[in-house]
Order: sequence, then structure tokens, then C-alpha cells
Amino acid sequence: MSTVLALAGEVTTGEAATFYILAPIALIGAIGMVWARNAVHSALFLVLTMLSLGVFYILQAGPFIGMVQIIVYTGAIMMLFLFVLMLIGRDASDSLIETLRGQRTVALLLGIGFAGLLCTGLGRAVGSMTSVGLDEANAAGNTQGIARDLFTKYVFAFEVTSALLITAAVGAMLLAHVEKVKAEKVTQLEMMRARFAPGNYPAPKPGPGVFAATNSVAAPGLLPDRTVAGRSLSALVPTRELTEAEAAPKGTEK
Amino acid sequence: MTFKLPAIDYLALAPMLVLFGAACAGVLVDALVPREWRYHVQVPLSLVALLASGGFVVALANRKEHVVTAGSAVVIDGPGLFLQGSIVVLGIVALFLVAERRLEPGGAFVAQAAVVAGSEADRKQMRKPGVTEVYPMMLFALAGMMLFCSANDLLTMFVALEVFSLPLYLLCALARRRRLLSQEAAVKYFLLGAFASAFFLYGVAMIYGYAGKVDFRGINEAVLGSSNSKTLLLIGLAMLAIGLLFKVAAVPFHVWTPDVYQGAPTPITAFMAACTKVAAFGGLLRVLYVAFERSSWDFRPTLGVIAAATMIVGAVLAVTQTDIKRLLAYSSVANAGYLLTGTLSMNRDGLKYTMFYLVAYGFTVLAAFAIVMLVRDSDGEATHLARWAGLGRRSPVFASLFTFLMLAFAGIPLTSGFTAKFGVFAAAVGGNMTWLVIIGVLSSMILAFPYLRVVVLMWLSVPGDDTPTVSVPGAFTAAALFVGVAMTLVLGVAPNQALELVNDAGAFLR
Amino acid sequence: MDPSYYIVLSAALFTIGAVGVLIRRNAIVVFMCIELMLNAANLALITFSRMNGSLDGQIMAFFVMVVAAAEVVIGLAIIMSIFRTRRSASVDDANLLKY
Repeated sequence: MSTVLALAGEVTTGEAATFYILAPIALIGAIGMVWARNAVHSALFLVLTMLSLGVFYILQAGPFIGMVQIIVYTGAIMMLFLFVLMLIGRDASDSLIETLRGQRTVALLLGIGFAGLLCTGLGRAVGSMTSVGLDEANAAGNTQGIARDLFTKYVFAFEVTSALLITAAVGAMLLAHVEKVKAEKVTQLEMMRARFAPGNYPAPKPGPGVFAATNSVAAPGLLPDRTVAGRSLSALVPTRELTEAEAAPKGTEK
Repeated sequence: MTFKLPAIDYLALAPMLVLFGAACAGVLVDALVPREWRYHVQVPLSLVALLASGGFVVALANRKEHVVTAGSAVVIDGPGLFLQGSIVVLGIVALFLVAERRLEPGGAFVAQAAVVAGSEADRKQMRKPGVTEVYPMMLFALAGMMLFCSANDLLTMFVALEVFSLPLYLLCALARRRRLLSQEAAVKYFLLGAFASAFFLYGVAMIYGYAGKVDFRGINEAVLGSSNSKTLLLIGLAMLAIGLLFKVAAVPFHVWTPDVYQGAPTPITAFMAACTKVAAFGGLLRVLYVAFERSSWDFRPTLGVIAAATMIVGAVLAVTQTDIKRLLAYSSVANAGYLLTGTLSMNRDGLKYTMFYLVAYGFTVLAAFAIVMLVRDSDGEATHLARWAGLGRRSPVFASLFTFLMLAFAGIPLTSGFTAKFGVFAAAVGGNMTWLVIIGVLSSMILAFPYLRVVVLMWLSVPGDDTPTVSVPGAFTAAALFVGVAMTLVLGVAPNQALELVNDAGAFLR
Repeated sequence: MDPSYYIVLSAALFTIGAVGVLIRRNAIVVFMCIELMLNAANLALITFSRMNGSLDGQIMAFFVMVVAAAEVVIGLAIIMSIFRTRRSASVDDANLLKY
């Protein structure tokens, strides 16, 4: 702990080395996320970036926030993303068709220009600033320091975030939970009665026809008198019309 | 280690605390009270909470003591209280629209949002009463808006921004009819809203880097006093402004407005048009007037161009609309431009008339959406303008009310729209922004055209077979309509009292 | 190296996220790009916290994480509900609303 905190103001060689290793990884993660066609790959690339950022936080005298980044942001929030992606299905990948022609190129060029401006502007502006370091603020320990400010200076904002969490819980329930009405629950007894009620056919339905030329589910099963067994047809599949040759008995009577 | 809780003036926070408490109680009501009773508990609960909150606002205004409390997170000053009060009053009127269940069996909200739209189960729930979670969500949103107007640092402001945005994203997805449209509006609003708040946050980070503080007073001192590079401040201010201008619906950050206004359930559209506008401008006013007043030379030209673009684009696109909700959406974009003009005058009059404009516009737009809710056929609301042809002969009363509201939007004398528009333009001239006023007048002239087109369509066309009927409003909608129209008239004919109120509100506390 | 390198990195990440929002069509990926932007802002906050010598930045980053958690829940719930109806999470397929 103390070694981490001692690093505050000036950048040590160790920190610089870690930065030069992890910064490209963070960038690769970010570009990979935007680049990857498959949404699951995107999520995993983002996890990579977030983990590198977590290490940066710890390096910059924020062990508490770094751990929260790794445990909560990467471990919980990103996993929620992955969970929903799996729920939706992996085919939720992107199409290559552009709706607005040239939009991607324009956005890319704009992005590169914007990044150039922002990076040089900020690099110059921040480069001239002196770094105070958190030694003093972290004197009683980083977590304690955060707790002190959180529960004094920012106590109202802290309490108000509970409204956010309640909203999130209620919202998820509203949009995802379907209530079962009691009257709609069918008991075993009722199912049995319905099954053997007059007019209902209790036995399993006949399967589709199996012929030499076809055994598709769309092919109707034939009764002994070679009429179509109505129950073998699915309401969802268009019936396959059998040609005379297909339906004719093959080889047995000759 | 010991530390002491900062002094918290609970009375100063009471207007917000009441709403947060009532919202939590509302969530419990939804969990514990039997389904058929929920509506009858939720509506009075929300109404009582809003009235109590309004009462506290009045008590605080009478105390005439301006405080910074809760460890400098919240500031209660004149303009903040006025904005809080207007959010409460407009919120009550919006609550009337949300609570309406006479027009459609079960109200404007879906019974179970999780049921797949268009499925068999969805058809079955068509006549069931709507979800009652909308009331606590609305209270959370209102409390967040109030906090947004009186936050004293950027962190509290960011939290408040999310507290009022998240319930709104949800509420947009809950329409009973045209559910696909509603869900789509929610996705669009959510994605663009989150995009904008990411910009807001990056702006906060840059300003924190520049000033070393996030409270407005500290930023104000740092704007001139800091030795750090000004680039940092300008980048931060630009990104912060993007986040706020999105909520305000200024061009080019307005693209969500027509889609969301059209897709959301009409009472929620009305709620957003009235209350979100007050909250967003309240936040913008505080940020510009308190934190960045000293760098007004930097942002006034840029924001001026944005205001001009907002007025022109909003007005021109309003002309081409064929759907009444989209027309009102573009009119709200154009109105954001007039409000920005008032904001940018950066003087006492500008603050005063911008606040007056917010209230006047809020009442008018609530009444307009109340009438949109009434014009319906068997498929729900008939929002296409062609369907409104000849409505004047079908029901002259409502058509005249709507005509009056349209004239108020157009800024004809004897309506609140005229007083408000005149006020902000006069303030802008006083603040050396005459070029903006010229564009504003030009845009008003363009914008009058779509309003008058609706009026002409209603009165001069012959009603066809498919002209929808105007339903008899329930008590709630009638009350909302009455309050909206009456306030539009009163603020136009005798605006003195309201102007005195904004005048007494004074300036922001730093 | 000095701490400003972190700020440059954060600016680069922010821009990549913003570009991603503009060019990707899958609503969930767009949302992930927004998360990247929030993370970039957090990196800037924490770096400035160190440069300014106050813990405000770290606390703000902490709040951002709470807000992001709530936002993710709401966002994914909305995206899920639209997906269940449409079997698609593409932003382009959501095009009933046009002028």
C-alpha cells in the first residue's frame, strides 16, 4: 500500500514503464471494440481497456477507485453487457451496409481530426501544469480520504444516488417482468380434463410422412387408404404437395 | 479518524426531500397495495407530495434567506426557488394529464410493458389499467429536476442530471398504443442522452483539471485567477455546453426531439416539453451566470451562433411537418432558441425574462398537448395534421382553445407568448445581442406560418368522414387544459404579478 | 514522461468512443462505446485529481461508476424490450420514426 501511495506527484520509471506497456493495450482494446464485427468480441475488447485503466488508477495513488474499477465496472457492469448479448443471441452482429452513404468515412475522418486537435490541445495545456500529488490528501489512507469527503462534502449527492438505484431496479422490473395472473395458471387436473374432453384427440399426433424421396416435416403422413392424415400437418409449415410418383408405393407390389 | 457531518438545512432541502420520500413510498405502494387500489392511492399521494413540496418552496421564498447547504452541494437562492416552484406547478399540471383515465380505458400507459408488442397477450391487455409505476418515476424525475436547478457543484449537477433523465427514458417506453414507436423513441432518447451526458462528464473533468475545484464559486474564481492554460477551460466549457444543449434541444443537438416527442406517450411528451425545458435552462443559466460569467466573451459568440441556428432550423423544419406532435416538437426547438437568446444577454433582464418565458411556455405547451390528447378516433390519438381538417366545425370550443394556444405560440399580443418573447428580445438588445434579436424576429415570422396553417386547416376546411371526434375530457384533463389556457391568458393580459415574482427572485447566489 | 500523458490517452479513448457511437449500428455496441467515453472521462478525472492534489476527482469517478451502473440497467432493459419485439438490435432497423 505505502509503495503505491508514495508514487503520487512525480512519475517514476516503474510507472512510466507500466504506462508504455498498458497504454497501447488500452488503445488496442478501444479500437478493437469499435472494429470488431461481433458484439461479444467488442465487449471483451472493452474489458481489456477497462482493466488497463484500473491499473492506471492504482498507479495514480487511487488504489480504492482502481479496485472498484476492476471489480464493479469490469466485473459487474461489463458482465451484464455480456449477459444481455448472450440472451439476445450471437447473431446480433453488425451489417456492413451503410444506411447513409459515406457516413463511416466522414465519421472516421472527423474523429481523427477531433482526436488530433483534442490530444495536442490537451497535451500542451496539461503538460505545463505542475503535479501536486496526492501524498497529503492520502495521508490518512486513500480509502479513508475518500470516505471523509464522500460523507461530508458530497453526502447529499451520495444519498441522491439511491434514487438512481431505485429507478434502475423499478425500470428493469417494469420492462422485463411479466406478471402471471392467477386465473391463467392451469392445474394438472384441468389439463387432464381438457385432454380427455369430448372432441379432443388425446393421443400423440401422427408424424410426417416418410417416403423414399422425402421425409421433410412438410410432407403429410398418409392414412392406410392413402388419404392425407390432417393431424400430421403443422399449421406453421406450408404443406408440401406430393407428386403422384412420390406418393406411389415403390417396389413392394412388383 | 473522526469527521463531522456538515450542517444540513433540512428546510432548504425539504421541497426535494418530500418528493424523494413520496417516490420511495410510491414504489412501496406498488409492491404492497392490491392492483385495483394502486391508482387510487398513487394519484393522491403524488398530488399531496407535489403540493407539500410547493408549500415548502413558498415557505422558503418567504424566509428570504439564501443559503448554501449540505456541504456546499446545494444552493437555495431566489432564481433557484423560482425555478423549483415552476417545476412543481408545471409538474402538477403534467400529473393531471398522466392521471387521465377517462379518454382511454386504463389511461395512456401500457398495462405490462414487458409483454411483447403486438402479441396475443398484448391485445388482451389492451383494456387493462395502465402501470402505476409512472407516478413514482415522475416524482423522481421532478425531484432530480429541482436538484438540477439548485446544484452548487458540477458533481451534484451530474448526479441530478441522471436522476431526472433515467425515469424519463423509462416513461418514454410505456405508451399503450403504438408501442413499437414508443420503445423506439425510448432507445433513441436513451442512447443520445447517454452520449450527451458522456460529453457533459468529460467537460466536468476538464474544468476540474483547470480549476482544481468543481463548485461554481471555485470555478468562478479560477476563471480569472488560475495560472493553468485556458485551452483546458475552453474545451471543458464546450463539452459541458454540449451536454446541456442536448437537454435543451438546441440545434445541432436537437435530432432526438421530434422522434421522442412523437413516440412517447402524449402526457409524457407534455411533461418533457414543460418541465425538462425548465430544468435544463435552469441548469444552463446557473452554469453560465454563476460559474462562467467572467468568460462570457469566450462563449457568447459561439452560443449565439447556436441560438441563431436553433431558431432558424426549428422554425423552417416546423413548416414542413405533417404531424401535430412533430410540429410541436420543432416549435419547442425554435423556442429553445428564443430562450437561449434571453440567456445569452447575460444581464438581470435576461435572467428575469428567460425564467418568465420558461413558465409561460410551459403552461401553453401543456395545454396544447392536452388538446392533442383529446382529438382521437378508434385508433387512439389522431395526430396527423390532415385529420385535423375541419375540426372547428366539429367542436368549436376546443378548436377555439387550440387556436388561442397557437396564437400564443406565435407571440400575438394579449397572450403570454407575446410578453415573454418581447421580454427576452428586449433583454438581448440590452445585452448587445441585437443581431440575434433580428434573427429571432425573422424566425418568429417563419414560425407563425405552421401555427396559422393549423388554425386555417381547423376552421376553413370541411370535416370529412374520417375527421376524428374531440373526446369529452375527464376532470383531470379538463383541469390541466383550464389551468394551461388560463395562465396563457393571464400572463399575457396581466403579467405584472408574475414579472414582480421573477424580479423579486433577484440574481443567483454565488 | 509526466502525468499529461494520461490525459492524452484519455482524449484518444474518448474520441474512439465518440467515433464508435457514430459508426456502429448495433445498439448494444453503441452503448459500449458510450461506456468507453465515460471511462475516458474517469481516467482524466483521476489524473487531474493527482495533479491538483485533491481527492475530488477520485470521488467523482466513483459517482460516475454508480451512475453508469444504473444507466446500464435501464439502457439494457430498454434495448431488450425492443429486441424482443423486433428480433434485432440494429439502430437502423428502428426506423419507424422518420420525418
